[in-house]
Amino acid sequence: MPPKQPVEKKAADEQSSFSRSTRNVRDFFSIPTPVKHLFGLVPVVTYPPNQLPLRAPKPARIPSLYVFTKDQDAMAGRPSFNPSCLKWQTFLNIAGVDHRLISSNNHSSPTGSLPFLLPAVYGSNTSQDSLTPIASNKFIKYATEHGGKVEESSSMRYEAYQSLLDHRIRNAWLYTLYLEPLNFSAVAYPLYVSLTSSNPLVRASISHQLRAAAEAELLKHTSIIDTDDLYSEADKAFEALSILLGEDSWFFGNDKPALFDASVFAYTQLLLDDELGWKEKKLCRALRSRANLVQHRERLLVRYFGDHE
Amino acid sequence: MADPVDSGDELLESLRKVDPKKVEEKAKELAEREAVHSAKAQQRLAELIGTNSTLPVTISSIRLIGASHTRRSFLDRLFNPLLSANQDRPFTLQEALNEVGSVATKLQRFDIYHPGIHTFIDRPSPTDPNSTVTDIDIFLQARERGRISLKTGTDLGNVEGSAYGNLTWRNIFGGAESLTLNASAGTRTRSAYQATFDAPILSDPDTRATIDVLASSTLKPWASHEEVLKGAGAKFSWATKSGTRHQVGYSGIWRQITGLDKNASPTIRHDAGDTVKSSITHTWLADRRDHPFIPSRGYLIKTISEIAGWGPLQGDVAFWKSEVETSGAVPIPIPGIEGDSGVSFSAGLRAGMLYPLAVGFGSETKHSRINDRFQLGGPTDVRGFKISGLGPRDGPDAVGGDVYAAGSANLLIPFPRVGKDTPLRLQLFANAGRLLALKDKKTTSESVYSTIAQLGDGIPSMAAGMGVVYAHPVARFELNFSLPLVLRRGEEGRKGLQFGVGINFL
Repeated sequence: MPPKQPVEKKAADEQSSFSRSTRNVRDFFSIPTPVKHLFGLVPVVTYPPNQLPLRAPKPARIPSLYVFTKDQDAMAGRPSFNPSCLKWQTFLNIAGVDHRLISSNNHSSPTGSLPFLLPAVYGSNTSQDSLTPIASNKFIKYATEHGGKVEESSSMRYEAYQSLLDHRIRNAWLYTLYLEPLNFSAVAYPLYVSLTSSNPLVRASISHQLRAAAEAELLKHTSIIDTDDLYSEADKAFEALSILLGEDSWFFGNDKPALFDASVFAYTQLLLDDELGWKEKKLCRALRSRANLVQHRERLLVRYFGDHE
Repeated sequence: MADPVDSGDELLESLRKVDPKKVEEKAKELAEREAVHSAKAQQRLAELIGTNSTLPVTISSIRLIGASHTRRSFLDRLFNPLLSANQDRPFTLQEALNEVGSVATKLQRFDIYHPGIHTFIDRPSPTDPNSTVTDIDIFLQARERGRISLKTGTDLGNVEGSAYGNLTWRNIFGGAESLTLNASAGTRTRSAYQATFDAPILSDPDTRATIDVLASSTLKPWASHEEVLKGAGAKFSWATKSGTRHQVGYSGIWRQITGLDKNASPTIRHDAGDTVKSSITHTWLADRRDHPFIPSRGYLIKTISEIAGWGPLQGDVAFWKSEVETSGAVPIPIPGIEGDSGVSFSAGLRAGMLYPLAVGFGSETKHSRINDRFQLGGPTDVRGFKISGLGPRDGPDAVGGDVYAAGSANLLIPFPRVGKDTPLRLQLFANAGRLLALKDKKTTSESVYSTIAQLGDGIPSMAAGMGVVYAHPVARFELNFSLPLVLRRGEEGRKGLQFGVGINFL
């Protein structure tokens, strides 16, 4: 297209004159050579770095998993008291990814919720990259890349059963933990509220926020919260899981546990843990009546949370 | 003046045409005459008072005109001590005028009247059977300021721009009580809301009680987080006879470290979450400098002490925190310049310490957190370093320290030709500082003492440079060229130009 050529040329001319003028501007702002030379001379003395404060976590050669837990439980590697933290904690244990637990809360997370993994720090200089936390949806990738044994199971059936956990059981869990007043004060309060602050006003505010958030989450799917419906749906879900597991040791007939086993364990462990002190035990009873699910939990607990119980 | 031969037209013309020069001259003349007149009047008054200064007088009444919203009981406390009925001996005229003058100044300081309170003296009518020969009546005339004022505006600070709205309700109960509501939003202080109720105690403008409630959210880019605060406090402040000021206050604040950057360091991640600080703070200030921003003589001493969490205070953090801030200035005479040369040398020293305690009556001391530790460095304290550029660093974050010391030496020189009466100065400076985290020792006291001892290890981190200082009535502006000379690895020096705005410089 010949007619276009001059225009392009002009544009190029303009561009070069523009770049020339920007170069002039840059020259104007650039540091003159004697000053640059002076800058090169300082600092005259550089000492070794300052020591970090005592509260700073000690550097570790293994990655840190930030979860909801108590400090002493973190040190002992005991199960987290939060289902999604426990799911991924169990997954990492199953995959054989060595990690340390750090007791934390949602404020520390880049996504606004726990868990997340902070990669190990090698050497003293922490590069920007090693400080970037890994969200839980990238754990499988991380585990595969770091020598973990990961069994992929992505059948249609898997998706369907996963949704049982993510909806029916989770909704019943939210209700029984946060909205059953007895359980809230006996189980949720000491774990999620008392650990946060000792101040009664702050505790009242956080309690309110937690309960409101749980209620809002439940109302996403229905217009009213029907308690009986929630519990019966969860009961059906446990029944379905129990049938799926059957006489096998692990779900889907695998010879080794996988992510799905961890997902189930995240709820069964917490509902069957007597130390939590459940008061309203409807959901616990529904689970307890499925003997194979109870045994499944025992198996995982013994195998991956060692000396506990 | 006008030539009688001139036609009337020209005269009219000259009348119509107003010569601006002439008007100006006239105005000037008038002003001069007035000045002379008032000077004469003043002189006459001074003479009158001078000759009558020992004249015994008794004040029979004081009346404040134009203060319809001010409470009688509030004014009684101010005026009653002056009334002769409450005096065991008569004043001299000089004394009486001084006393009235000081009451007028006090009234002015309550900030409820427009500037300029006028004083008039009158003799009661001799026919009044109640009056004695020595009686005088005092009239004070004041204009009350609007009781409600609303102010909005924008601020530009060091590295921050913000917009604010301010609503003040003055003289609420007629005793100079005020309620201030403040809201602001900015680039660094993302939002801040504060309500403050302030009242003078016993009609003394120097003794005040304050109650405040606040909610704010501030970005702390030097430590990759955002701090959200909600709290309330009460303060009581007073002045001593020697002019020093005290303030004691309690505050309870719910702090949240949240909104962490993607690459925030583990130290910051570990401190994320909620804490409540319940603390008592005492501040003492003696400011005897001749200028708050470019002092040439005098000194300032300030101490801040805070105890948090200990014993009945409770809360989630516990520590004792002490800070001392001193600065002094001396004028430097230059041979060949008569009187004040305007050249002055000033030096400042600051130090602080955080001593961890156990919460409540417990025995387990708590390590300090990012929001309680000190930060050091920046254009208003240790120049030549970035904001919070000194002290321990974890990756990209200045994580603060528990013990610090910083000092500076500045030489202020007036601009040549411009002179020492302008608010402009040239400055040469050198400043240094150390900010350290507590060491891990068996006992807390051991770790505090060994960390304090460590302040002296090696040469402190140091920078020097020169620049221009401009003392604006509300803040000091500085533009410096600085070179960091000594650093710890990780500390962030600033080579080259650095701009600083502030009220309180090291």
